[in-house]
Amino acid sequence: MCSAELFLNATCVASSEELKIYKKRSFEAQRQSTQHAAMASAESSGEQASSGPTGTYEVVYIKDNVSVHPSPLANERISGRLKLIKQGQSVFLTWIPYNQSGIADDSGLILSPSEGAPVTPPQAPGRKDKDRNLYTIRAVSLSEIRSIRRHTPTLGWNYIIVVLTTGLAFPPLYFHNGGVKEFLGVLKEHALLVRSAEDANVYLVNDIQDPLQRSLTSLDLPEAVTPVRELEPLEEERVSAQEGPDEGGSALQPLVVSRRGPEGGVLDRLPQKHVDPLRDASIHILTQFSKVTRFVRDATTQLSGQNDRPLARSGMLGLPERAPVPPPVAPAVQRQPSAGLGEALPGRGAGDAGAGSRMEEDKDEPELSSLGAFELVDGLEEESPALVWGRPRPPPLGAEEWATFLDSEGRVSDPAGLRKRVFHGGVEPDMRREVWKFLLGYFPYESTRAERKALQANKAKEYEVLKGQWQSVSEDQAKKFAKFRERKSRVDKDVVRTDRTLPFYAGDDNPNVEALRSILITYSFYNFDLGYCQGMSDLLSPILYVMDDEVDAFWCFAALMERMASNFHRDQNGMHSQLLSLRKLVKLLDPPLDDYFRQVDCLNYFFCFRWILIHFKREFEYDNVLRLWEVLWSRYLSDHFHLYVCVAVLKRHRRKIMDEQMEFDTLLKFINDLSGRIELEGTLRDAEALCRYAGDAGVACMPPAPPPTDETQIEGPEG
Amino acid sequence: MATPGAGGNLQAKLVLLGDMGAGKSSLVLRFVKGQFFDYQESTIGAAFLTQTVAVNDVTVKFEIWDTAGQERYHSLAPMYYRGAAAAIVVYDITNTESFTRAKNWVRELQRQGNPNLVIALAGNKADLASKRKVETEEGQSYADENGLFFIETSAKSAQNVNEVFYEIARKLPKAAPAPQPQGLNLNAQGRTQPKRSCCSTS
Ligand SMILES: Nc1nc2c(ncn2[C@@H]2O[C@H](COP(=O)(O)OP(=O)(O)OP(=O)(O)O)[C@@H](O)[C@H]2O)c(=O)[nH]1
Ligand SMILES: [Mg+2]
Repeated sequence: MCSAELFLNATCVASSEELKIYKKRSFEAQRQSTQHAAMASAESSGEQASSGPTGTYEVVYIKDNVSVHPSPLANERISGRLKLIKQGQSVFLTWIPYNQSGIADDSGLILSPSEGAPVTPPQAPGRKDKDRNLYTIRAVSLSEIRSIRRHTPTLGWNYIIVVLTTGLAFPPLYFHNGGVKEFLGVLKEHALLVRSAEDANVYLVNDIQDPLQRSLTSLDLPEAVTPVRELEPLEEERVSAQEGPDEGGSALQPLVVSRRGPEGGVLDRLPQKHVDPLRDASIHILTQFSKVTRFVRDATTQLSGQNDRPLARSGMLGLPERAPVPPPVAPAVQRQPSAGLGEALPGRGAGDAGAGSRMEEDKDEPELSSLGAFELVDGLEEESPALVWGRPRPPPLGAEEWATFLDSEGRVSDPAGLRKRVFHGGVEPDMRREVWKFLLGYFPYESTRAERKALQANKAKEYEVLKGQWQSVSEDQAKKFAKFRERKSRVDKDVVRTDRTLPFYAGDDNPNVEALRSILITYSFYNFDLGYCQGMSDLLSPILYVMDDEVDAFWCFAALMERMASNFHRDQNGMHSQLLSLRKLVKLLDPPLDDYFRQVDCLNYFFCFRWILIHFKREFEYDNVLRLWEVLWSRYLSDHFHLYVCVAVLKRHRRKIMDEQMEFDTLLKFINDLSGRIELEGTLRDAEALCRYAGDAGVACMPPAPPPTDETQIEGPEG
Repeated sequence: MATPGAGGNLQAKLVLLGDMGAGKSSLVLRFVKGQFFDYQESTIGAAFLTQTVAVNDVTVKFEIWDTAGQERYHSLAPMYYRGAAAAIVVYDITNTESFTRAKNWVRELQRQGNPNLVIALAGNKADLASKRKVETEEGQSYADENGLFFIETSAKSAQNVNEVFYEIARKLPKAAPAPQPQGLNLNAQGRTQPKRSCCSTS
């Protein structure tokens, strides 16, 4: 509680006060202040901080002048900064190139006075930002790292090669100022580092010898779980599936296989369709490496020559054959629904999901337990942290890394990559103001910095015109304009009770409350057919808070409403179709729970109405709402990811719901009372797992594209 | 419907209807938790709360459905008032529109054809006398014409809040003699089947 408040205050200061001077500051100063704020909050609230708000993280290691050498040419070297970042229990490694080749620190990163976006200083010949960014290492979790090899050539700089558990390697990182030893020293504090018996220069990261431990660790990783059966079809088909002995028999296959099993390369045996989407973490890296395979080959030959055994175990020898690269943003939703995970989800145990016989279920349990899996699996329920997916979520996107997404003219060169990054880690509070404009669609990804400046200027004018339309309504005119009066009074009633406990909106005559009001009334003129509807103030509040600018907030809100307008249609079509989708998803992902809801006549899912209408705005602390929304807006795995979040939350409480025999009333009360008690990061991980698991079958559940707002949706008597 | 619960007590489903901002949630919150917030959030969807009161020898457990006020969500209301034993239709005495909407709600409820439904009309925000737009007499005479129980309330000052609920509780057994599946007397102890054993109020 205390830490959450502190944190909120810190972000508050950053967004209202600091933003005014933000433009003049260098990125580094900006980042440091953010770090200090985060650390200060961490220190003052003691232990809570690490488990506290999502944004809390700590840089545990920084090393400048660590370079990649794409070619032997000295002027092609790319210098950057190596970091270890700790968030919660997880540590991530990043290497971000400086924006200006050859300059030894990233003070070369300056902010454009106009929009706070980084401006690229003059380029070194022959090397564009884009190429440089190719090598960027964006937040790789230590748990994804298999080994690190230290090279100490007699001539030239020391370097390291980082090899991932997937068998891929990053290009050598040269320590121009030395310090490999120190790096390994710091690493040792945060991960189990073991020198390979075969080669003293190879450090195995997290190499856990104990087989049980090992399977536990590998459980965390998606690859660890082999699919046992195709995803269960909806009920009708399920009945017939019961008869098929083949389906039943497959339940006897091992549910969990250690990725590092002695025979090596479990991964290699999995059909490609299973592997690709689940190895999503490496997709980005793979994409990069498709362009720099030379490094991979180098690293591979070097290592395989000297280290046969560990390599065999990690499956690295298979690398060249596996090199074909999946599409950069493999739209995971398009893949087969059978991939992985299924059996790890409660309610998807082989017995329960398909053949449905109690006997089979009983048979499975000991097997799971013997692998140490059962407890983890069961952890998806109730309050215990869910570990089904288990990949730690990386820290949020920061300024430096954001800069790597922009080309020299400020275009987002890899929108898909950006969306993916935001989906997995969110955005640092200070960066939201910029990044959200893209996520929401106010700024086109392909726009240049100059184009955006022009766009903003136009939009500012347009907003003034729209606002003038209602501001110029005279008192006499208003007397004869019932619809206008009603509309205004409805907005008035809501803005005075929207997030008023938040400092940003607190107190009498708060200009932000006034801005909230102006935007909502203006919007109801801009989209006259839709008008103002309760819930909209909830959707606008965080946007205005982040933008801290009426015009930008208006257009971001308008862009959001492009996606969400059907939630507010008079006939509730948007809500009904989403509630129906949710019902289908639960049926797909948790048939027993679906059965239960059917028994108690709750299949309309109206108890989830608030979740869906305002995207969990009332369910989380404010800063977590911001995090959740940017993840939803990234629309990376699904345009309707919030529905998977619904399923994830329901699944966490399924046992209680069923044990206590909740019916519609008690269920609604229970769901409403969850407000403020849902753990975000774990829920997001679960939702991601569910979404990937559901695959095509999940896509088939999704609501159709909402119809545009038309006359049938206009307001009735209310105005 | 008001139904007999364990121990011969009543359970009564009660729904609050009325314009947005009229003070439905505030009235419930005052009644159930004794609290009031100036910045009470709007209700999205609906909320469910329970509170038990004792009248004479009978306790009545109210199962209260607090709905969202905006006309736009009107189509959801039947889901919440269906099967209700009582309704409180709320308006804001400082807002004539809300009085108009209250009348619409009353008409809609009466059309539902449950002659035993107890309807209370509450003119809320009585503490804001200086901003009053709807006179007490207007509310009273409308209520009289339509056979409603009328009272002016203030969730803020707590004026008449408990009274509304107590008055409804008093009217319930008379208005809605509970179905007595096993032919039991209302006051018979512990023999009727509670709707849910986990929520019995006796
Ligand atoms: N002065 C005064 N203000 C009140 C009273 N009751 C409610 N309010 C205020 O009126 C506003 C709306 O109250 P709510 O209880 O949220 O109204 P509601 O009918 O539930 O509104 P919806 O949920 O939007 O349908 C809040 O700001 C309350 O603080 C009252 O008796 N006196
Ligand atoms: Mg309310």
